Amino acid sequence: MSGEEVAAFRQVSKSYGRVRAVSGLDLVLRPGETVALLGPNGAGKSSSLDLLLGLREPDQGSVTLFGGAPRAAIEAGRVGAMLQSGGLMTDVLVRELVQLACDVHPRGHRPADVLRNAGIEEIADRRVDKLSGGQEQRVRFALAVAGANDLIVLDEPTTGMDVSVRQQFWATMRAQADAGRTVLFATHYLEEADSIADRVLVLHRGRLIADGTSAEIKAKAGARRISFELHAADGPFEEAALRALPGVVSLEVGGHAAGVRTVRIRSTDADGDVAGLYRAGLYPRGLEVGSLGLEQAFLTITEEHDAEESAR
Amino acid sequence: MITLIRLEILRSLRNRRYLFFTVLYPALMYFFFVSIYKGGSVAGGVSAKSYFMVSMATFGAVGAVLTGSAQRISLERKSGWVRQLRLTALPGRAYTLAKIAACAATTLPAIAVVFALGAVEGVRLGAGQWLGLLAVLWLGSFVFAALGVALGYAAEPSAVQPIVMIVYMLMAAFGGTWYPISGSMRNFARFNPVYLYNQLAGFIHPGNALDTAAAAGLAGFLVVFVAAAAFLYRKDTRQA
Repeated sequence: MSGEEVAAFRQVSKSYGRVRAVSGLDLVLRPGETVALLGPNGAGKSSSLDLLLGLREPDQGSVTLFGGAPRAAIEAGRVGAMLQSGGLMTDVLVRELVQLACDVHPRGHRPADVLRNAGIEEIADRRVDKLSGGQEQRVRFALAVAGANDLIVLDEPTTGMDVSVRQQFWATMRAQADAGRTVLFATHYLEEADSIADRVLVLHRGRLIADGTSAEIKAKAGARRISFELHAADGPFEEAALRALPGVVSLEVGGHAAGVRTVRIRSTDADGDVAGLYRAGLYPRGLEVGSLGLEQAFLTITEEHDAEESAR
Repeated sequence: MITLIRLEILRSLRNRRYLFFTVLYPALMYFFFVSIYKGGSVAGGVSAKSYFMVSMATFGAVGAVLTGSAQRISLERKSGWVRQLRLTALPGRAYTLAKIAACAATTLPAIAVVFALGAVEGVRLGAGQWLGLLAVLWLGSFVFAALGVALGYAAEPSAVQPIVMIVYMLMAAFGGTWYPISGSMRNFARFNPVYLYNQLAGFIHPGNALDTAAAAGLAGFLVVFVAAAAFLYRKDTRQA
């Protein structure tokens, strides 16, 4: 199974009128990966998923699922998907809708099992049109896992769920991933990507600008933050000494009181920097070293990308 | 696909508002017309009881299939349910076929209820004529189901509702639903599918055979509506 491609985008571009939604996307998903697709609104996440599922055709390039056309993979029952705008049938019971999904799936599970796995047994006899937003999301999820899929695609699956339901949802999702399924999910909750995905893709303005583990993405953005104050009473201030520190990605020096300078450093080598500060004879006060969240890493990467674009 | 068709039929029969407009409303209108005419005849010498039995049955049937297909398809395209179904192994046409099947299932009670009232009011037909009439009116309703599917793929829900109402009422008003069409109006009515649909029932009157010209006209409309529905369906599939 290893080495096989679950999904592949090859130089894929898609425009809507004059808006370029996806631009030169090159990407391969491998079996068993849990992949998060990150990006601000309008980054092209939903468009990419639409292309992947064959709901839209690319203008350029090709999209394949399990080596063939997306539609063929869906007909073979290899893909389950939960879309953001996944409306549901009205005037039917949750149980009936799940039954339908199981029946039409070429490798469908038993409806009772699907209801249990999706955690919707207690609402099985409710009308679909009388559900809360979070309950609807879980029903959509049930439809996505109604059969033995090899790939599960989820577009912002936890929108509208409260915190406890969200945790329960990801527990279910992990069970799917542990069973060897490939999971691709788009999200704007960065902590979900950080804690669940073993690979993170960052999409911005239709381009893939980062692809790696969450730790790699953080490292790319300058993984740690160091902040301290330098007081004039402790010795003369030399900015050159700070600039000479190893691994510095960004350096900010500010001052809010006379004789006090506030220094903020983002760095890939925080340990070396702290040792370097003392070696340079400086006396940092109120020293704090913290890790950068994926959220800040994400913002940094997208801002850098914007800066590069405008510089061009 | 069987599950989908079964579910579509079930949910139509469960929707009370839908049943009210398609079954109860034509039945009430039938009582209304019969009481106005007080057992007399409409122009042309046909008894009002049997004339309105047919026209209210077709009125209910057309209403059932137009709202059942056009509005629901349009709403479900907007809500994303149509997209969701496209992510299943079901062939694309299954959804439309299930909608038409559900329409066909709901037109039967709409027609049968008005027939039962007609029989109570004193319309006398042979068993063969009752069954023949039911079969003809039921088959004729598929023409409007195809129109409904086309309208459902043509416009947004907010636009589809008034479009359906206008099309429905205009076709009814000039198609002999509320009064018989006579004189020069017939020249226009020949191009109105509801008029042709009502004409199909002519064979129940003594000395009349099945109106083959009307049947041929309806078949023509069926071809046009199916072609339009197929074109609009493909266009929609490419877009979303």
